[in-house]
Amino acid sequence: MIEFQNVSKVYQGDVKAIDDINMTVNDGEFVILLGPSGCGKTTLLRMVNVLESITEGDIRVQGKSSKELNPIELRRNIGYVIQSNGLFPNMTIEDNTMIVPDLLGWDRKKKRNRFNYLMDLVGLNPDDYRKRFPHELSGGQQQRIGVIRAMASDPPVMLMDEPFGALDPIIRHRIQDEFLAIQQEVKKTILFVSHDIDEAIRMGDRIALIREGKIMQYDTPTEILTHPKNEFVSEFVGQDRVLKSMSLYSVQDLVDAFNLESSKQEVADTKMIHSDTSLRVAISMLLNQEADQIVIVDQQDNQLGSLTLNLIEKFLHREVKGKER
Amino acid sequence: MNAKKTLATTTKIILWLLVIVFFWWALSNHMFSKIVEQPAQFISLLETHLKLVSISAGIAILTSIPLGILITRPKFRKFEWLIVNTANLGQTIPSLAILALAMGFLGIGIKAAIVALYIYSLLPILQNTIAGLDSVNPATKDAAKGMGLTSTQILFRVELPSAAYSILAGVRTAVVLNIGTAALAYLIGGGGLGVWIFTGIQLFDNSFLISGAVPVTLLAVIVDLLFRGLQLLLVPKGLRLARKAAIDSV
Repeated sequence: MIEFQNVSKVYQGDVKAIDDINMTVNDGEFVILLGPSGCGKTTLLRMVNVLESITEGDIRVQGKSSKELNPIELRRNIGYVIQSNGLFPNMTIEDNTMIVPDLLGWDRKKKRNRFNYLMDLVGLNPDDYRKRFPHELSGGQQQRIGVIRAMASDPPVMLMDEPFGALDPIIRHRIQDEFLAIQQEVKKTILFVSHDIDEAIRMGDRIALIREGKIMQYDTPTEILTHPKNEFVSEFVGQDRVLKSMSLYSVQDLVDAFNLESSKQEVADTKMIHSDTSLRVAISMLLNQEADQIVIVDQQDNQLGSLTLNLIEKFLHREVKGKER
Repeated sequence: MNAKKTLATTTKIILWLLVIVFFWWALSNHMFSKIVEQPAQFISLLETHLKLVSISAGIAILTSIPLGILITRPKFRKFEWLIVNTANLGQTIPSLAILALAMGFLGIGIKAAIVALYIYSLLPILQNTIAGLDSVNPATKDAAKGMGLTSTQILFRVELPSAAYSILAGVRTAVVLNIGTAALAYLIGGGGLGVWIFTGIQLFDNSFLISGAVPVTLLAVIVDLLFRGLQLLLVPKGLRLARKAAIDSV
């Protein structure tokens, strides 16, 4: 758990970078700090592991104030990932990954086991990469190593500063998915900086939208998209926020909402869509005139019904607009 | 790429041919006779020369590297210009003038020569230490700090290994320059192989000249090679490979 209590940061000359922030990140929660560049989101993140000083207020990590702890001790218990991965060019991948366990005095065997486990987690063969060096890896691989390095000593809390920002869209998307799957398994408390609304919607349990050092709205992605609190939030999420909110729902949600019956009839020559696809992709397929209706199938290729634009519109009214006050 | 390689190989071959021609000429004209006739004298001159170089360069290494580390720490950053400019001064003043100045303060003898050579060696090591430490990616240092490494751990585990190539290159430059400059030590009574070189000049005697000059040159070449070997030993493998990959991809 991370608690921000009346946190402010003032630079010389009375520039308020962070202005009286109060928020809580619960255990196992994935929270995105979202905002335009220069809004103070990175500063706020770096205040958690005391890379930036706190002018006023207090930040408590796992119940302990950063003022009580020695910064070195504190940082070793918080995973830290940055955009440009920051791998050490002079160390092998294994040494890079195991730097914190090494500082904590783990024995060889424990380190090796941990390395193998983590590499498996991100789908890299531990033996292939153990003795390699960072420059021999692709950008995506380097960033995966950056992530597991932060997880090496199994810290309960992780800070991530635009970790996937430097990757190309396809790789970024894939790593985001991978990381979400890992998070399902490890359930870390994560504070994640991003300037990308789509990334925030995809990844976050909750989003804190920040502007000029103040929190504009701290809510779930659905709430932020459907009920923006003010002008800034609605402008930041964009005119197409309804479309964006569609990526929060899967075709399965629609199937559940309308209790679609599985039609046993065999339909030839139609497109099929898996029920775990997002509605945003489904709309795109329909609008692309690939077909007027798409057959929904589950993992075992059982047909669950058919999807039309009409049906999605109905779902939209019920699920999304229906909630608007 | 290929044209470059051919040019490089051709240059190398021509250079080696010239070296062989030179040695053939020197040997057939008994140019190294002094070494053969007065081996004891030669050994003692060589010893003095090595002493001049090793003491002055050794102290220069022991002061420049820690100094370079110190002024790249955030606390002392503001003194960087002062120290680098001072060291620059040592390099800009002609080596002969430094020798003359050292003699003015310390009199004639090996001590003055060592001090002059020391001042002359400071800058290349200092500059390369600073450049090497500055070239470490700030993001790497930030990640290290954020993961809870202490400043000392960051210095020894990340910064110095990353800067090793540059620092060693500085040491190599300084020592090789030092070997050549040490030949001037004779002028202020410092001894060394310069004694034979200057005798040769004064007497128009090529055998003195070459018996002194060729060993100095060989010494410089050998020490240069030794330091290249040392670079292989001390620069972390990952950095060497990265460097090679970067050069190959150009």
